[in-house]
Amino acid sequence: MSVLFVHSHFGPPPAGYAGDERLTVIREAELTEGHIDVARGIITTTHLDQIGWLEHMPAVSRLLERGGNWFFNGHVLRRFLPGLDLYRPLERPKRADFAMVRLSEHPIFAGIAQKSLEENKGVAGFYGRGHNPLPAGGVAVNGIGPALLPIDWEWRLPGGGRVFSHAGNDLGGMGGEAGHGALLTSRIIAWANGEI
Amino acid sequence: MAILAIHPGAYYHIESFEAPRYAGYFDALVRPEDLPDTDLSAFNVVIIPCRTPVDRMAQHKAQLQAYLDGGGTIVATGESESQLFLPGITFMPQPTNFWWWLTPGADLGVRIAAPGHDLFSRLTQRDVTWHLHGWFDPPDGVEVLAVNGEGKVILYVDEVTTRGRMVITSLDPFYHHGSHFMPATTRFLDGFLPWIRAAYDRNPQQ
Repeated sequence: MSVLFVHSHFGPPPAGYAGDERLTVIREAELTEGHIDVARGIITTTHLDQIGWLEHMPAVSRLLERGGNWFFNGHVLRRFLPGLDLYRPLERPKRADFAMVRLSEHPIFAGIAQKSLEENKGVAGFYGRGHNPLPAGGVAVNGIGPALLPIDWEWRLPGGGRVFSHAGNDLGGMGGEAGHGALLTSRIIAWANGEI
Repeated sequence: MAILAIHPGAYYHIESFEAPRYAGYFDALVRPEDLPDTDLSAFNVVIIPCRTPVDRMAQHKAQLQAYLDGGGTIVATGESESQLFLPGITFMPQPTNFWWWLTPGADLGVRIAAPGHDLFSRLTQRDVTWHLHGWFDPPDGVEVLAVNGEGKVILYVDEVTTRGRMVITSLDPFYHHGSHFMPATTRFLDGFLPWIRAAYDRNPQQ
């Protein structure tokens, strides 16, 4: 049992995901039901082929029903699960719309001030520019803009499985100027592996 | 009237191809895996968007070559390593400076090389300027439309390599527009897609 890192783009996997013994890195095109059925968790990236992913959802649903974890990066533009709605971008965002607030403590973000992830080289907007709507029963972790839209959330399903949604570029690459990227990546793997 | 877009299915492809802003510019969408079952000759233009994974295209190289040899038009945008599945492309990657615009008065250096070309009745220099991922060393005889600060080619039309036509660029507008990021990329597609329709989606009999 390990965590599947679904490698969708051409080129090497992102830093931090290669060489971690908890992970099996697999090309999305080579992914089978058999891989998912023996996995403890799955990490998908912003480059996920969401159309192709629909074909994997029966196996992903089984993983969630047996208590597995799915860390999703990106904009939800296909209805993968009942209760999961489609991404909503910020409309004509200004700087204030990119302000972020920690709404609930979460082990992936422990000790990392959300403010420290807000800017890169003094520019905001890289972390995310919208949100995947919070499913009923989900817990908002980080909010963006004056309306505190849930840019990050965790959703525990009836079978004990969990989905974490980060509605932006891959969270492991969003360490901000404080350099939290490696720590976030390690914790994303730990979360998908059920360690935290 | 027929433009086919290859649809790799990432969110930025879905947003670019399926959202109302541009959906009308794509008469059909095909998954890379379904290309062998697709008669490309039914389409005047085939678009291969930014960040199409090479390993989903390389096996279709012969089919794309045959389509071009039959007079078809392929439009390929950046970050897809299109030199690995399209003929006659020599691509030179370059480090991307995402931050050039933070310096007051800075100039990325992109220039329109053919101001009289029809495309530039729809696009300004500002609309082709966001950042650079690389440049091309194209064959002699291509029509160069835009260059980087060193005069290297970043957008060109090749009607010499095959009996058809390739519109090739290292710019990556679908990726950033589809990510709701970088307004210049949306302005680019606002001009580029109508130009493709007007210039190349013609009935060969007409």
